[in-house]
Amino acid sequence: MAQPLTGVRVIEIGGGVAVAAATKPFSDFGADVIKIEAPGGGLLRRLAPFAEDRPHIDRGAYHMAIDTGKRSVVLDLETPSGLEALARIAEGAQLAIVECPPSQASQLRGVLGGAGASVVTITPHGLDGPFADRTENDTSTFAWTTRMHLHAIAGRPPLRYGPYIPAMQVGGTAAAVGAAAVWSLEHEGERRDIDVSAIEALSGNVDTYFVVWSFSGAEQPRTGGQSKANYPVGNYRCADGYVMFAAGGERFFARLCEGMGHPELITDPRFATPDQKALHWNDYMTYLEPWLMARTKQQVFEELQQYGVMVAPTVEVPDFIEDPQSIARGSLVTVEQPDVGAITIAGPPFHLDAAWQARPAPALGAHTIEVLDAAGYSRDEQAALFRAGVTG
Amino acid sequence: MTSHVLAGLRVVELSEVWAGPMAGSLLGDLGADVIKVESYPRNSQTRALVDVGVGMAPGDGPPYERSGIHHLPNRNKRNITLNLRHPDGAEPFRRLVRGADVLYEGYSAGTVERMGWGWEVLREINPRLVMISMPGWGKEGPYQGYVTLGSGLDASAGHTAIRGYPGDPPEETRSIYHSDATGALTLLFAALTGLRQRDATGEGCFIDLSQIEALAWQMPGTFAEWTLLGRRPEKLGNVDPHIVPHDAYRAAGEDSWVFVAAESDRQWAGLAQALGHPEWAEPGHPWATVVGRLRARTEVDAAITGFTQHLLATDAADAIAAAGAIAAPIVDPPGHYASAQLQARDWFKYVTSKYAGTRIMPGFLWSISPDGPTWDRPSGLVGEFNDEVFGELGYSPEEIAGLEAAGVIGTSYALPK
Repeated sequence: MAQPLTGVRVIEIGGGVAVAAATKPFSDFGADVIKIEAPGGGLLRRLAPFAEDRPHIDRGAYHMAIDTGKRSVVLDLETPSGLEALARIAEGAQLAIVECPPSQASQLRGVLGGAGASVVTITPHGLDGPFADRTENDTSTFAWTTRMHLHAIAGRPPLRYGPYIPAMQVGGTAAAVGAAAVWSLEHEGERRDIDVSAIEALSGNVDTYFVVWSFSGAEQPRTGGQSKANYPVGNYRCADGYVMFAAGGERFFARLCEGMGHPELITDPRFATPDQKALHWNDYMTYLEPWLMARTKQQVFEELQQYGVMVAPTVEVPDFIEDPQSIARGSLVTVEQPDVGAITIAGPPFHLDAAWQARPAPALGAHTIEVLDAAGYSRDEQAALFRAGVTG
Repeated sequence: MTSHVLAGLRVVELSEVWAGPMAGSLLGDLGADVIKVESYPRNSQTRALVDVGVGMAPGDGPPYERSGIHHLPNRNKRNITLNLRHPDGAEPFRRLVRGADVLYEGYSAGTVERMGWGWEVLREINPRLVMISMPGWGKEGPYQGYVTLGSGLDASAGHTAIRGYPGDPPEETRSIYHSDATGALTLLFAALTGLRQRDATGEGCFIDLSQIEALAWQMPGTFAEWTLLGRRPEKLGNVDPHIVPHDAYRAAGEDSWVFVAAESDRQWAGLAQALGHPEWAEPGHPWATVVGRLRARTEVDAAITGFTQHLLATDAADAIAAAGAIAAPIVDPPGHYASAQLQARDWFKYVTSKYAGTRIMPGFLWSISPDGPTWDRPSGLVGEFNDEVFGELGYSPEEIAGLEAAGVIGTSYALPK
C-alpha cells in the first residue's frame, strides 16, 4: 500500500541521535531515507543498551528503534570521491538533514543544494557566532537552555531529563521544519537552507519558563516536587506507588474535592486562596492522603478522571507497555530484526488510517551497492571506491 | 514578512495551554494563515484572571493579556473568540471549516464530538479537510475524555520514574512539561503528512494524535532496558554509565554549576590539560583510559570539582571547552539572556503588545534562507481579529456586532469580583 510520503527521498548525514530521529518519521510514513554513514558507523549505533548486552554496530537499541526502514550507505565524505558519490545519490532528493560541525556544513550544503534538495543542518550552536565551533554533547546542550537549571531543587545540582531526550526533541524540530520544506519544494519548487541550532530549538519551544523571568523579573520557584501553595501538583503516594497531579487551579481543586467525597472543602476558607492553601497544606493532606492510600494508582486515575481531575499514574516502562490504553491503540509494535529476533519498539507518533510501518533497521552499509548501482556507478567503479576505502 | 514556506495554507486552531498553541505559532512562523479560535466566554487556562504567582507583566490592563506563558505559544496567528456551545456559533464555525486546509483541536477526547463537531460532521462541510485531534492519550481507546497536562503524560510514559535525584523519594521529583514541546512538533509533521495524503487521494483525512505516543518513541534506550533486556530502567541523575567524567560540578558563587564531560581519551587529554594535570592523560596513568576512568569515577569527579569550584561557571566552561573537552555553564534565565552566542545571532526578540509592554521573548526554532521567520504578530488580544476574520467570512459589521451582543463572540473575559 502506498504510504503518505511515498515518493519523497531524504538524505541523512552525520550519524548522531538528532539527525536519525529527524528522518525516522519520514521513513516510517513511506519516504525513501538514505542514511549516509561514515566507515565504522556513527554515534547512534554505539549507544547502549545492546541486544544480549553484546556491543555491536548493528545491535544497539537506539539504532534498532530509530533507523527503522532506512537504507544504509557507507561513504567517506572527507574525500572528494565520497562527495562526488553523495552528489549523485542526492539527485532527486527533496530533503537532506545533516548533523555536522559548522566547518563542514557549507561544503555539504553546496553539494546537496546543488542536487536540488532543501538542506537542514543540525548543530549545537548554529552555523555562525562565537560559539559555533564548540563541541557539545546531549547534556551540555541542555545545560545552555535554562531547562536543566529549572529541573532541580534550589541549592542541589541541576538535572538533565532522560538520556538523549534533548537530542530527540531537536530531531523532532528538524523533522517538522523539514516536512514543511518538502511541502514547499513540491508545491512552489523553491529549495531552502535551514539552520537548526539545538540550543535555540530547545530554548524556543515551550517547557521553558524564560518568559516568566522576562515578563516579571522573577524566576519560576525551584522547590521540591510538590507545590505547597497551588496543590495538589506533583507526585503523591497511594497504595501501590505514586500518582502525578498536574493542575491545581481552582477549577481542578474543586473537582478533586468532589471526587474524593468532600465537596464541603471547595468553600472551606482554609483553602479559599493560594495564601490560605499554603498555610493549611497539612490540613488538606489529612483528607487527601488516606483517600489515596486506600487506592491503587490505576484506581485513583480512573476514579478521579471521572470528575475531570488532572491526575495520572506515575509508572515504570513495563506498566506503560501493559497499560490498557497502550494495548488498545497499539502503542508498541514488534519488528523482526535480522540477527536479533523480534524486538518491541514504540509505535506510530500519530494514527492516520493504516499509514505508518516499522521495518527493520539496516546493517551498516547494507545498501551501499544497491544505491551506487542506481546512482550509475559500474561495479568496477564501485570496486575502485571500495579499494580506496571510500565505501563500505 | 515571515517565511512563506507554508504560504497559502489556512489552519484553524482550537486548543489551549501549550502543545496545541505552540504548534499554531510554529505553523504561523512558516507562513501559514493560522486562525486561533479561542473558547468564549470561558477563558483559556493560560490566561490568568487575577494577578497571581510569577510571570505576569506589570501593568493596569486585564491580567489575562499579561501572562508570559500565554504569550510565548501564541505569536503569528489571528485570534478570534467563538462560543461553540451557542447555537449562533454554528454558522460562523461552518464557514471557517469550509475555508480551512487543516483544523486541529487539543481538547479531551470526545469533547468536540459532544459539541457536534466531530470528524464525520466536518468532513461533510469540507471533504478536503485534514482534521487532527491531539488529546493527551489520543482519541481512540479506553481513556476517552481523560484530562491532563504534560506532567501527567511524562509520568504515565515512564519518564518521571527515571528523572530526579537517585535515592530521593518521588515526592521530590519536579514536574516537567516536555511532552508539550514534542506534541507541538509532532502536530506539524502530522499536518504535512495528512496534507500530502490529501493531495494524493483528493480526499481529506482524520489524524488521531496521542501526545503520550508522540513522547514515548523518544525514549528508545529507556524502553529497551526493559523490552530488550528485562531490566527496570533506573534514575541516573546526570551520570552516563559509560562516560567518566559526565556530571554537573559546583562552580564559584551561590548555587552555580557547570556540566563537564570527556567522551573519549582525546577529550580527556584536553580536560587534563585544562585542569593543570596533563600527566593524568599520559600512558600509564590510571585515568588515561576509558576503563580506568570508569573505575575511578568518584576520584575523577573530586578532581574536577577541585578545579571548577574556584571559577565562575562560564569561565570554567570556557577554559575546558577551549582545551577540547565538553563543558557548559548550567544557565538560569539571566545567564541565558547574557549568552554571547545567542546575542551574536540576534536570537532574542523584543516584542511589544498592548498590555504587556515590550518583553524579551525567546527566538525561533530555526533560521531559514532565504525567507527566515519574523515575529509579525504578538500574542493576540482576546478576539482581536474578530472583525477582520468574520468580515472575510462574509459577515457585515452589523452582523458582527449582533454576534457580540448575543454573547457568541467577545473581546474581554469577566474578571472575578
